[in-house]
Amino acid sequence: MSARLGRLTCAALALGVLAIGVAQAGSREQAKRIHDRIAGVPPSATVLDQMAAEVAAGRPLAAANIAMQSSAFYNVTLKNFVSPWTNREQSVFVPLNDYTATVIGMVRDDEPFDSALSADILYTAPGAAGVPAYSPANNDHYDQLEQRGADLKTVLVKQTQSALNGIPAAATAGLLTTRAAAQAFFIAGTNRAMFRFTLMNHLCRDMEQVQDTSRPPDRIRQDVSRSPGGDSRIFLNNCIGCHSGMDPLAQAFAFYHYDETLARIVYTSGQVQPKYFNNADNFRPGYPTPDDHWDNYWRKGPNQLIGWDAALPGSGNGAKSMGQELARSDSFAQCQVEKVFKTVCFRAPADANDRARVQIIKSGFRSGGYKLKQVFAETAAYCMGD
Amino acid sequence: MARAIHMIRPLILLAALSLAACGGGAETKENPVVSQAPVPDYTGPASTSPDVQAFKINLWENVKASNRCGGCHNATGQSPRFARNDDVNLAYQDALTLVNLTQPDQSRLVSKVGGGHNCWLAANSACADTMTVWIRNWAGAVASGGRTITLQAPVVHDVGSSKSFPTSSALYASTIHPVVKQYCARCHASNAGTPQAPYFADTNADAAYGAARTKINLDTTSLSRLVVRLRDEFHNCWSDCASNANTMLQQVDAFANGVPVTQVDPQLVTSKALSLFEGTVAAGGNRYESSIIALWEFKTGMGTTAYDTSGMEPAINLNFSGDVSWVGGWGIKIGTGGKAQGTSSASKKLADRIKATGEYSIEAWVAPANVVQEDAWVVSYSGGPAARNATLAQREYQYQAQTRSSRTDANGAPVMLTNAADRDAQASLQHVVLTYDPTNGQRIYVNGVYTGDADRAGGGGLSDWDDSFALVLGNETSGTRPWSGVVRLAAVHSRALNATQVRQNFDAGVGERYFMLFNVTHLTNMAQSYVMFEVSQYDSYGYLFDKPSFISLDPAARPGSLPLKGMRIGMNGTEAKVGQAYVPLDATVNDSNYSPATGQPLASIGTVVPLEKGPDNDQFFLTFERLAASTHTVTEPAPPAVAPPVNLPPQSDIGIRQFEEISASMSAMTTVPTTQTEVKATYELVKQALPQNENVEGFLSAQQVGIAQLSIEYCNALVEDSSLRATYFPGVDFNASVAAVFGSAGARDQVFNPLLDRMLGLSVGSQPDRAAVRSELDALSVKLSACGASCAADRSKTIAKASCGAVLGSAVTLLQ
Repeated sequence: MSARLGRLTCAALALGVLAIGVAQAGSREQAKRIHDRIAGVPPSATVLDQMAAEVAAGRPLAAANIAMQSSAFYNVTLKNFVSPWTNREQSVFVPLNDYTATVIGMVRDDEPFDSALSADILYTAPGAAGVPAYSPANNDHYDQLEQRGADLKTVLVKQTQSALNGIPAAATAGLLTTRAAAQAFFIAGTNRAMFRFTLMNHLCRDMEQVQDTSRPPDRIRQDVSRSPGGDSRIFLNNCIGCHSGMDPLAQAFAFYHYDETLARIVYTSGQVQPKYFNNADNFRPGYPTPDDHWDNYWRKGPNQLIGWDAALPGSGNGAKSMGQELARSDSFAQCQVEKVFKTVCFRAPADANDRARVQIIKSGFRSGGYKLKQVFAETAAYCMGD
Repeated sequence: MARAIHMIRPLILLAALSLAACGGGAETKENPVVSQAPVPDYTGPASTSPDVQAFKINLWENVKASNRCGGCHNATGQSPRFARNDDVNLAYQDALTLVNLTQPDQSRLVSKVGGGHNCWLAANSACADTMTVWIRNWAGAVASGGRTITLQAPVVHDVGSSKSFPTSSALYASTIHPVVKQYCARCHASNAGTPQAPYFADTNADAAYGAARTKINLDTTSLSRLVVRLRDEFHNCWSDCASNANTMLQQVDAFANGVPVTQVDPQLVTSKALSLFEGTVAAGGNRYESSIIALWEFKTGMGTTAYDTSGMEPAINLNFSGDVSWVGGWGIKIGTGGKAQGTSSASKKLADRIKATGEYSIEAWVAPANVVQEDAWVVSYSGGPAARNATLAQREYQYQAQTRSSRTDANGAPVMLTNAADRDAQASLQHVVLTYDPTNGQRIYVNGVYTGDADRAGGGGLSDWDDSFALVLGNETSGTRPWSGVVRLAAVHSRALNATQVRQNFDAGVGERYFMLFNVTHLTNMAQSYVMFEVSQYDSYGYLFDKPSFISLDPAARPGSLPLKGMRIGMNGTEAKVGQAYVPLDATVNDSNYSPATGQPLASIGTVVPLEKGPDNDQFFLTFERLAASTHTVTEPAPPAVAPPVNLPPQSDIGIRQFEEISASMSAMTTVPTTQTEVKATYELVKQALPQNENVEGFLSAQQVGIAQLSIEYCNALVEDSSLRATYFPGVDFNASVAAVFGSAGARDQVFNPLLDRMLGLSVGSQPDRAAVRSELDALSVKLSACGASCAADRSKTIAKASCGAVLGSAVTLLQ
């Protein structure tokens, strides 16, 4: 029987592709696509009728807003949208965690997303039945929410990190100081991982795309060999390009650490973590980190194209102000829109039309209070098909 | 004017070293190694004082041989007769006029042999270093005290326009390269039969150009090493040296003429200029070398031999084989398969002396090429991969030690490794010391710090050491344990250095450093004022500028208040493009922070800037955005225009659902919750086999298998749950016979319509055609119903599950 079933399924699959390939997209088809792309699941007959009516009336954004009322938008689409940001492997197969839940909550509540890297914010589910209370020392709370299929659309409640995980409010930096981010990027190492992955996840750039060898290397730490394998050309042509800008920015994380024994984030106010002095003998005349003062050298040179906020000073102390520096950049907004575009349209912006639309959506995102739901809705409307 | 700070050194030695470092000098026929001087035993008067005895043991015994100084400076020969064999006391009297016991390296004896006066080795610098050691040993404690440095005011040069090497090798490829490829490639190419660095005749023009740059003098082409070697040193001329040199000079001229002159920007606020060797030599710190028995400092910079300058006879001079080349700033680079090996007869001194003490230390300044090599011998005293006395090796991020003792086998097993998690070995210049003593066995120190790793074998005796083995760097004697990297110093001690001594040698550093005084008097109006850097050639490709300070050589001068801002390092007429660590500098030199003795430090950090023409020819200067009243506003160039975006190839407008969307969709279509026990278990089992992204072109048959499994599980849960199925299929009794449930089109409507309504949706044109799907389901149910009387009791449920699964596991669900 199974062989027969297999043949049938394949036949049906082929049939489906054929049918979709020749179909003309009317309001019902467009409505279904909007729902599929936003919620990840097909609409019920009632919802489809409502959405199709909105589309037919020329209100695709209203249709998209209906789709966003589906729990699957939060439990499935957003969760899988965010999960790869929360681990080094960028795997989507990771348990729900506080980083993911906080993004989901912020989207649901239309929290301004430019505060995502600086706010004292955390979403938990204090009332969820059978779920252990939030703990800064394990992920059980979120594990159980996922295991029990909790409806994240309803159970998440906005809280503060400073109240729940014991670090001062001034030391909180939104997603950067969540337990999941700390576990992934503050663990061991030199804390540069937190910077690199934040750049990848929220500015859509890896280090190769920001390297600039013309910046002063005075803040490059002592652990970076100036003559790797006895060849200083490697440093002068490559290493310096990233480290000259990254090290003075990542200095913002000097007081943070993820303690594997305690299984939680640790913040040592005023005291630089020992990891900042790892391998200090690699280059003694390098920069010994004295505090958490950060400077953005990339405000000059080619990386000024990142679009830094001229209203911010470009330097400060600690992760909160550095997170704000990143999140208020034009590239941050562009990156969020492009990520949503990819999620909803199944492709990167591919041509002039797509790019123009991304600019429009980005402008709306920035001027409209950084609401990601709006970005999802506008993108879904753009990609609902003709 | 000169000011004493720490130590005085003779400029003549500096000149000798600079010549050696640039690879100059005619090749000299090396005298045979003389481990034992062929002179009669001494029968003259006994030493009349302890100092004469110290002279006798440490210096006189080494120089009296007839093929060293004793050949001429003997009792009847040339004056001074410091090597006379008839009366050591008279020799002592003459020797006293030739040595500086406070600063042995400034002795006349050292400068003479260092200048090439009957040096018994192929490299004058090796003779000078060896002579220095002998005199220092004689001086003993006297030599270690009171080191001062005299800062020499450099000759004032204005910053001149200069030529810099172009980055592209094209010009080289069309001028010099053809000539050297024709005449020099038999040796100076990486694929030559007997490859001899530098590979300026390599077939790869980029590689050849990189190697040739330090051999070309762009400003005075006739002084280019490529020309000098032929014209003055008659080095492998292919016909007549003079005409060959002319041929080469024409090509070098053609190259140099093709390089535009870099004009100095007149707007810049600049210091005066100087070259590295116009700086004052900075003393290395005091190394602890009381028990040293072999030392390689790699100062020669040319040829294929690294000299043991420990002064302990016989010298274990290391011969290069395979991929071994000199690096700038003293050192050798060992490529894969290369090695530098001494003879077993010379190496015998190691076994003899170490067996006597029962302890030893191997010390090395190394820069491993990478941290992926293993079974890579850095320093080894051994006779093959299975027999050794001692070996210091690298194993990825770990250092490894093997010492043959009474507690180990003949191969030094069990080996000792540093803790892998500590990542002690880095692809960076490191000071590594392996010590052995009878109590603790082996200990490894990295950068002056004990790694804390205990030797499992513990301490034992070394009396079984084999004195027929050879000392080798970068490999096993058999060539089967290759290590890649740079060695800048290696030493063997006959004692286990203690932690303090190791730290002392680490702090002493490696390589020669210079105090470079950049004259800024014309900017500050402060007498003899300078910005001083401690500069060294960091490796073959860069200089290290460190510890900048502001100082005047006039002890009476005071700065008042001098703002100093935005300092940049200039080289050959222009500011270096990379490595400008002092741009953010914003300091004020003032009387309260300024000390006439040490000046005022400007920054605690150092930086590496790229080498261009080599230490002989690179001319440095400093520029300032502000110094005293002079200012220069630096304007950052506008960021490069963003390249117009490229359109991506057309991509599919539709996609497939990914893993969790599939499960959630199936749940929505069947009303079975995702948390249903069997469904959840199956999902966890198959989820990583389901699609991970929406790309329809990435869909695999294996993913369809996972989808089929999951769909059957959902349908099974739906049909088996009486409550769910009653709601889903109202009026259908799945416990009834097959004929009752599937026997007629009307009956089948009861089952199939709910499936199609919920799964296909109503009137959605992008979904598969409802009639076609229904037709398939009808055909399926007919086939599955053909069991007659043998139908199992639950056959109706089975057919329902199969029909549900066929729709649910199809493109109906998958595509979006």
